[in-house]
Amino acid sequence: MGEKRPRLVVTFYTTAGAIATEQLCRRLGLEGKLISVPRRITSDCGMAWSAPPDLRETLEARLEEAGIETAGFYELPL
Amino acid sequence: MREKNWIRDYGLILVTGVVVGIAALVLTASGNPKNMGFCIACFLRDIAGALGLHSSANVQYIRPEIIGIVVGATAAALAAKEFRAKAGSSPACRFALGMFVMIGALVFLGCPLRMVIRLGGGDLTAVAGLVGFAAGILVGVVCLKKGFSLGRAYPVRMGEGFVLPGIMVVLLGLLLLVPTLLKFSEAGPGSMRAFWAISLAAGLVVGVLAQRSRLCMAGGMRDAVLLHDFKLLSGFLAIWVTVTIGNLILGSYNLSALSQPIAHSQYLWSVLGMALVGWGSILLGGCPLRQLILAGEGNGDSAVTVLGMIVGAAVSHNFGLAGAADSIAEDGTYVVGGIGTAGMVAVVIGFVVLAVITLTHLPKKEDA
Repeated sequence: MGEKRPRLVVTFYTTAGAIATEQLCRRLGLEGKLISVPRRITSDCGMAWSAPPDLRETLEARLEEAGIETAGFYELPL
Repeated sequence: MREKNWIRDYGLILVTGVVVGIAALVLTASGNPKNMGFCIACFLRDIAGALGLHSSANVQYIRPEIIGIVVGATAAALAAKEFRAKAGSSPACRFALGMFVMIGALVFLGCPLRMVIRLGGGDLTAVAGLVGFAAGILVGVVCLKKGFSLGRAYPVRMGEGFVLPGIMVVLLGLLLLVPTLLKFSEAGPGSMRAFWAISLAAGLVVGVLAQRSRLCMAGGMRDAVLLHDFKLLSGFLAIWVTVTIGNLILGSYNLSALSQPIAHSQYLWSVLGMALVGWGSILLGGCPLRQLILAGEGNGDSAVTVLGMIVGAAVSHNFGLAGAADSIAEDGTYVVGGIGTAGMVAVVIGFVVLAVITLTHLPKKEDA
């Protein structure tokens, strides 16, 4: 509950996409964690991946390589 | 800053929980059955009966609460520009899951929302339901971790998203304009009802708030277990606390496992029935209340799930699967209700169906 910091939030069409991203990032040693999708992004109640903003390009490339379909990339203060 | 963040994160969901709790108390005080101000499973079952899909004379009424919830969610989604017509995520499997979630709920005698309302009335038999619901959610979470997915939904034409809200408007029209086409219970839970306008208003308020806050009984526990995020779960707890305080103030709190309204003390089958609901709800991505809200937001898959739940209710009553409440016999002896052999078989079949759906929707080895 401290100061808000900008985070990269990756959203998915399915929960399975979010879980697969967590497993992929753990395997690759990429920082981040699963969160519930912020309400300001969508009314859906699924999961999203929260990561440091500077990992955006890496994540875009790795997720595409792994065939994980994303719904969007957002930079938000969390 | 700290307080502002807390209010931003928890304010709306807590307000929603409190309002749902108050609405449940008002509806009960206005005529709905005790500890059943709201029950998505029971009310969909009543709607199925009113339409003649089953012939249990005691549970037939077009419940305006359901209509209000769906239409309220639609109005909120449209106002916030969040109405999205989409569909295509394994609709047939969702129909089957909706059926068995309903069968499990009617074995227990209530959806997750009524489970909380029963707990708030002091009904200790509902603790068995809570244990089962939590166990089912844990099984569902394991399935999610293994990669379970019913697949993504795709944008469809706007009209698709308005199907369930449209059906609800038609049901309201039938109730108010041509009630002779419908069946109405003259005894039993279906005959206990608040004035339709009160029910509709309560449903609309809950529909709007649940759409804004994403209130979901199953999602609350899933997020707590999987993400250590307690936001949705706090809404669930707010309902429980509000209903408990309200019942204490109204003098209707009865902390006991005996003679609770529309409840039975066949604990094992309450556990198993709600385990079916918990597991099924995680596979579906939301509890029965959440399915109504998603359908109101334009999700055609959730609309199919709701139709599956209505058919599940009809199947439950046509084949004698639903639980019977505990009662007092004429000679004063306490008669334990619960389910018969057919209901037990249906619950077991439900677990098999959920297991098959799970196994057939896990990633293939080459995808993993």
